[in-house]
Amino acid sequence: MSTRARQDNQLGYVLHTYPFRETSLVVETFTRAHGRVGMVARGAKRPRSALRGSIMAFQPLGLSWSGRGELRLLLRAEWQGGQPRLQGRALLCGFYLNELLLKLLPREDAHEQLFLDYQTALARLGEEAEPGAVLRRFEKALLRELGYALALDRDSASGAQIEPQGSYAYEPERGPVSINGGAPAGLVLSGRTLLDIVRDDYRDPQTLQQAKALMRLLISHRLEQKPLNSRRIFEELQQL
Amino acid sequence: MKPPSSLEALIEALRCLPGVGPKSAQRMAYHLLQYDRDGAQKLCASIGQALQSIRRCAKCNSFTEDEICALCSSPRRDAALLAVVETPADLLMMEQTLAFPGMYFVLMGRLSPLDGIGPKDIGLDRLLARATDGVVREVILATNFTNEGEATAHYIGEMLRGRGIKVSRIARGVPVGGELEYVDSGTLAQAVVERRPL
Ligand SMILES: [Zn+2]
Repeated sequence: MSTRARQDNQLGYVLHTYPFRETSLVVETFTRAHGRVGMVARGAKRPRSALRGSIMAFQPLGLSWSGRGELRLLLRAEWQGGQPRLQGRALLCGFYLNELLLKLLPREDAHEQLFLDYQTALARLGEEAEPGAVLRRFEKALLRELGYALALDRDSASGAQIEPQGSYAYEPERGPVSINGGAPAGLVLSGRTLLDIVRDDYRDPQTLQQAKALMRLLISHRLEQKPLNSRRIFEELQQL
Repeated sequence: MKPPSSLEALIEALRCLPGVGPKSAQRMAYHLLQYDRDGAQKLCASIGQALQSIRRCAKCNSFTEDEICALCSSPRRDAALLAVVETPADLLMMEQTLAFPGMYFVLMGRLSPLDGIGPKDIGLDRLLARATDGVVREVILATNFTNEGEATAHYIGEMLRGRGIKVSRIARGVPVGGELEYVDSGTLAQAVVERRPL
């Protein structure tokens, strides 16, 4: 990690903003070279602010900042283009990705691979009608990046290879364990789901559904049961 | 020297105003007590009065002293058109255009998942009741062109279209009288994407 105070034109995204003092914003960003960086955009709530129009989530920006403290001073945010605006349900998925990054990724820790995964996810969300596979790939990438080695291809009790036809109980700290009769408590997955997740292949509807349940379990575990607002609100919106 | 406790309480109370930190609150409190005790008296009375008399209009959800506000009771407005805006300030801006003859619904916010603001917080159930009163024929979504405003417009659109109501979205693009040289890239990019045939 660089300790240089001033950074110029660093590729990054705005994850979220909130009001700060009378006319300023705190801007939470995710940058390629520096990971999550918090910045203050001074005067960004003023109507004529040059920063105002470009501080927007889901758009690649060239960010320049200075300072060393917990919150840097945002100097410029330049539009890079190339990412179509997210619309409709894809926007909600985008908010979900941003919330995951805000709640799980520590500040000032570079995660270049995850940054690329995030960019890919945003591009796909803009293109694909069904966001499930895009979200699952990103969740998997995020967990891996956080140092959570996802146990998927071996039975963690016996060490045997996962059988596509088998059924497995999954516990976050343990991994999949074959079920030989009996009905275990907790999440049950098919062997095929586990093997499909290894290959990032979400074409099978049952895989997609079980993968969602698995990622949900693992992410809540990482969040230590802190709720995700975007997930709750997405569910409320489905009931309208 | 420690300030007297009712002064401390006043400073603390002033901090509820948006953008007012401890320093400004202290300055305001000293100003009111030292130079403008009349002003303070008026402020005190009008806050009390407003809190007592101002409520939400049963139709547009904006502030009013009556059950239904003047705009919503006006016979000159076109009751078949309903514009949805985020704030009372947005409603005033729309009114200044003199371009919109219809009625309003004010959400008093927008969907903002990262801040935990969902459909219940912006009264979408009340909007639904208002838009399906049998008189409204078209709902015009005039929420902001931020990601949050767009998400809000999308979900209101889905909700109303599913119930057979015509829904439209205000257009965006280069400002009237705007020169391309001075327009920000995001606006221009979107104007190109949403170009229309001539
Ligand atoms: Zn009204």
